[in-house]
Formats: sequence, structure tokens, C-alpha cells
Amino acid sequence: MATGDPPQRIYAAYQPAIELAHALGVSDRLAGTAFLDAKVLPEYADRQADVDYLPSLPSREALLQANPDFVLSGFNGFFAEQGADSSVGTRASLREVGVQSWILSPLCPSEDGLTDQSIDPATVKVENIYRDLRDLGALFGVEDNAEAVISDMRERIATVEKQVAGVDRPSVAIVSPNEDGTYGVASGIDFGSHIIERAGGTNAFADLSKKRNIDVGAEELVKRDPDVILTDACCDASMTEQDARPEVDAILHDPALSGLTAVENKAVHPFLFADRSAGVRAAHSVELVASVLHPDRVG
Amino acid sequence: MNKRSSPTERIRVAVGVSSAGERASTTADVAGIPSQRAASPRPQAPRPREGRAGWRSTVVWTASAVALLAVACALSLVVGSYPASPARVLSAVLSPGQADVDTIVWHVRIPRTVSGLLAGSALGVAGAVMQGLTRNPLAGPGILGVNAGASLAVVTAIALGVTTAGGHLWFAFAGAGAAALFVYVLGSLGRGGATPVKLALAGAALTAMVGSMTTIVTLLDAATLDEYRFWAVGSLTRAGAEVTAAVGPFLVTGFLLALTVSGSLNTIALGEDMARSLGTRLVAIRVLAAVSVLLLAGTATVIAGPIAFVGLAVPHIARLLIGPDYRWIMPLSALLGPILLLLADVAGRWLVQPEQLQVGIVTGLAGGPLFLYLVRRRKVAQL
Repeated sequence: MATGDPPQRIYAAYQPAIELAHALGVSDRLAGTAFLDAKVLPEYADRQADVDYLPSLPSREALLQANPDFVLSGFNGFFAEQGADSSVGTRASLREVGVQSWILSPLCPSEDGLTDQSIDPATVKVENIYRDLRDLGALFGVEDNAEAVISDMRERIATVEKQVAGVDRPSVAIVSPNEDGTYGVASGIDFGSHIIERAGGTNAFADLSKKRNIDVGAEELVKRDPDVILTDACCDASMTEQDARPEVDAILHDPALSGLTAVENKAVHPFLFADRSAGVRAAHSVELVASVLHPDRVG
Repeated sequence: MNKRSSPTERIRVAVGVSSAGERASTTADVAGIPSQRAASPRPQAPRPREGRAGWRSTVVWTASAVALLAVACALSLVVGSYPASPARVLSAVLSPGQADVDTIVWHVRIPRTVSGLLAGSALGVAGAVMQGLTRNPLAGPGILGVNAGASLAVVTAIALGVTTAGGHLWFAFAGAGAAALFVYVLGSLGRGGATPVKLALAGAALTAMVGSMTTIVTLLDAATLDEYRFWAVGSLTRAGAEVTAAVGPFLVTGFLLALTVSGSLNTIALGEDMARSLGTRLVAIRVLAAVSVLLLAGTATVIAGPIAFVGLAVPHIARLLIGPDYRWIMPLSALLGPILLLLADVAGRWLVQPEQLQVGIVTGLAGGPLFLYLVRRRKVAQL
């Protein structure tokens, strides 16, 4: 990281980065934002309305046109050499043109230019979000804001953990039906797994750790028979949990899944891809999942 | 440059193939195949030149294919990540109950087996018709632009956020139909009407153009790309019972048309001028054959998505086994196609558990080398 003045023109790509910038109170320094998976949390809605926003990732040229001095990214695909997302080039190549960058550490690959495959699972935890907040707070010169956000998140998550302490932990799967008849599920190394844990459940696919997102067949879901299913709706800047209803219905009416405990008990709940992304949304997500898993304890 | 551009050249090639066949005989008569044009006052088409296979071997290979298909179906019902013994699966098939196994057999394994049967047969037969019609050994069902058209329609539906009960299947069918119609009209322009070469060129041009449009849509929106990439790999787990039932009539019509033209494809194999002089109504045959390919390839795409390899390889394998008579190649291709698809699907289920390899990937990965081996080992029967 180059030393000197705090970045003045921050470009935030993906939901976690955009929400984190608003949370740190640097919205007025945003030179541009791109690619929301869902509507930003209500507390950031006004600030987001005031900044430039692109529904898809910018090209390298469009990014540089916004003249940023700092790029903050929620996922690694933005800087990947070979990824599904459109890339603006590696972080080293941005540094060459004087643009510093940051990937939130739960999704930061071991080397520049790589993607999900090289994430160290040990970095995928809530503590690392706090660390990012603290570091970015120092970098942006807003340490107090960072500490306030961290203590708010800590408090909210601790409250939930206290409420669900000692409960029976239902098994939970984050499921999204794919176009080809398979189902995408969140594995043990996905941040969603940590959200489920803290909300008083266990990820039914926690033992899988090769990739964050795994596609399985209906048989695998029936075999593991989760007690609760959360959907995984994505990607639209106006999306809220209500928009995940069609996915809920698709799972409830899928004949192949009709024997699942979660389906029989109608325990299929709207949930967003944004909710399982590592960022300041984690407190919101833990509360949401806990209220679904343990409605009697968490209001 | 078409090596077979002159009529005399075509006949020479045909004769050359004929003399290469080792034991020419009047197989078709012995086998009791009803003549395609028995009632026709026109001169009879000559019996197609026979490959190395006599009628006994034709019957043996066809019977073996039936048996192997039965094995493939059985494997498709028994293999899966949910543990269930063959006996338990059998009882689930015969007297379904309410247990998980019953749900899996009836709502996962039987539908994907039926999908494999239908899509595999359709692709095999469509490929055979296409190769016979164009006399091009590289022809496959995709040559009419069917897959490209279906892909564009599906990706557009995804981008517009259209979701229907049957998924994007009907978009695939509409796209396939529109593409085939466009190719046919384009290929019919100019002198000589819809010749196979013009059809193939129009198909290639449309595929390139439509492919670019598909790329544009997916590049503009990452979420669309994310969904599309699941459609773009062939898969047998997509279509439910209501879809396979709905496309059934299209399939049956396509098969019947293919059988109807199979005798004429034998005469077309001798060269178009020869075929014409033998009384084959080329235009009518071409139209019927093209409609058959559209129905079969379109249906296969609806059920399983774009699967490239099966339609190309299966007719060649059939030809290697039983020789060049299209009246036998059609039914044998209808058996070999699903064998290939179902075995590939079964392999894809346990290779990377608990994930799955989609059938389109396995057919390409495993089928390609197998096909190359066959081609190298035995001279590919010429068309």
C-alpha cells in the first residue's frame, strides 16, 4: 500500500464493497459503484442513490475513465486473469497506472490475478471483516467510523449468539436451482456457512470444501435432507428478500424434492446471495437466519 | 472446395465405395425389408451397395444394441448419489411408495433416463438424416443452425427475466424452429432451390451470426451468463415429465419422416444426378428430411440442451457396424444414441461425486477419443 493522503476517489465493485464504503461513511468519496447483487441495506439506500452506479462491472477503460485512485472490490473476479466476470486487469496492472486496490479478505486469493480456488478457508470468517474495516478505516482516515461499525456488528451478532446458545441446531442448506436441473449449494468454505453457524444451525454441506459454490443433483439433497432451506436469489440492484419468493416456490413444488424435511415442513425461506456475502451485511444476515431457524428465541 | 462437384466424379466415388465393400449381396431382400417404392411404377432404385455386414450381422448388431440399451437404462436407474440397492430400485419401480428412494426413482432417475432415451434417439437419427441428405460425413443435427437458434432464444429469455413453468424449453424450441426456417429460406434462394451445400452454408453463416448475438447478450449481463452456462452444457436433468410428454408428438413425427426418407437417402448416396435419374423426387425428399431434422434436433435441444457430439458420431458408428443402408442405419442410430447418452450420464454421476458432470461434457470427453479410435481402427464407411 502506498503511503500518503487517504484515497479521495474510491471505486467500489460488488455488494460487499459498496455497502462497506457506505458503512465507513466515505460515500461522498465514491467515484463510482458497480454490480449490486441486491438492494443495499435500508440504512445505505439514500447514500447509494447519490452515487454513480453501473449494473455490470465496468471495462478497464470505463473504470479508469472514472478516474479512481482506489478500487475496493468485494470479490476477486474483478482482478482475475481468467474468471467468469469481466476483469479490469490484475491489481499489479492497476498499480502501474497509480490505482491502489483492495479485496475484502474473506475472498482475497493467495496471489494477484487468481480467483476463488486459492482462497485460504481460514480467512473466511467474521473476524476478518472486522480486520478489513479497521484497516480500511485507517487507510481512509475514518478510524472512528470503523470502530463504531465493528462494535455495532459485534454486539448484534453476540446478541443472536446468546439467544441461540444451547439450542438444537437444525441442518441448513443454501440452495439455488440451476437451469440444467442441478442445484447450486454453498459449501463449508463459503461465508454462508459461518452465518448459519452463528445463527444457530449447521450447514448441511459443511464437509465440502473444494469450492465456495458446488452444484449437486437432487439425489444429494435428498440424501443430506436439510431441515431448512435458504434460497440464494441474485443479482439485481432492486432485489429484496421478497423477490426470492419465486425461488422458494420453485423448490417447494419441485417433485424431486417433495420428500425433503424442509419442503414437507415448508421450511424454505427467502434469502439472497448478497446475504451470504462477506461484508458489513453479516450482522443483518445472522439476525435474519436466526429468526428463521429459531423464531421462538430471536424476534 | 467440394471434391464431389462433378456428376461423373460423384458416380465414380459411389462405385469406388461399392467395390470396396467386401461381400456384396442382396441383403435387403433376404432380410425382408419392405421396398420403399414397391407400388411405384418408376424403375426400382438399385439395392444400396452393401458394406461388410451381411444381414445376419445386421440383425445381431441391432439385437446387441437393444440389449445394451436395456443395460444402460438399468444402470441409469440404479446409479446415483442416493444409496439404493438394485432390488430396492426395482421395487420402487414396480410398486412405488412414499419413501425417499421412491421419490428419487420416479422424480429423478426415471425422468433423466427417459430424457436420455428420447434425446439420444433424436440426435442419432437426426445426424443420420443430415449426413445422408448432405452426403457430408461431418454433418450433424447442428448444421441447420438449430442449436445456435435455440441458444439465442434461451439467452434472450434469461436476459429478459422470463421464467415459465417449463423453464426455457419452449424458447429453445421456438428458436430452433426459427433458425431452421431461416436457414431453409436462405438456402432455397437462387438457382437449384435448397441444395444441401447451400443449406449447410446458410446454417454455418446463421450459426456464426446468431452465436455472436448470444455472446453479446451474455457479455452484457454477468447474471445472464451465469444462468446460460448451465443451459449451454447438455443435461438430462432438465426436462420433467410434462415436457417430455409435450414434445413426444414432434419426436414421433420426426422419426416417421426419417424412416420415410431413409430409402431415398440410399439413392441420394449414389449422387444426386443418379438419384434423380432413378426417379427420386429430390426436392420433396430434401424438405421431408429437413423437417425431420428440425423436429428431432429441436426436440433433443428442448429436452437436453445443445449436445454436439452424439449426432455426428452415432451414424458413423452405425455405418461401421452394419454398412451403408439407411433403412437400417436409422433404427440402429435410434438405439446407439441413447446408449451413448445414458452411459455418459451414468459416468458423470459417479465420477465427481457429490457433484455431477453434465452429460454433454462426458459425451465430448469420453466419446471423442472412442470415436477417433473407431475411425482409426476401421476405415470410416464413406457416404
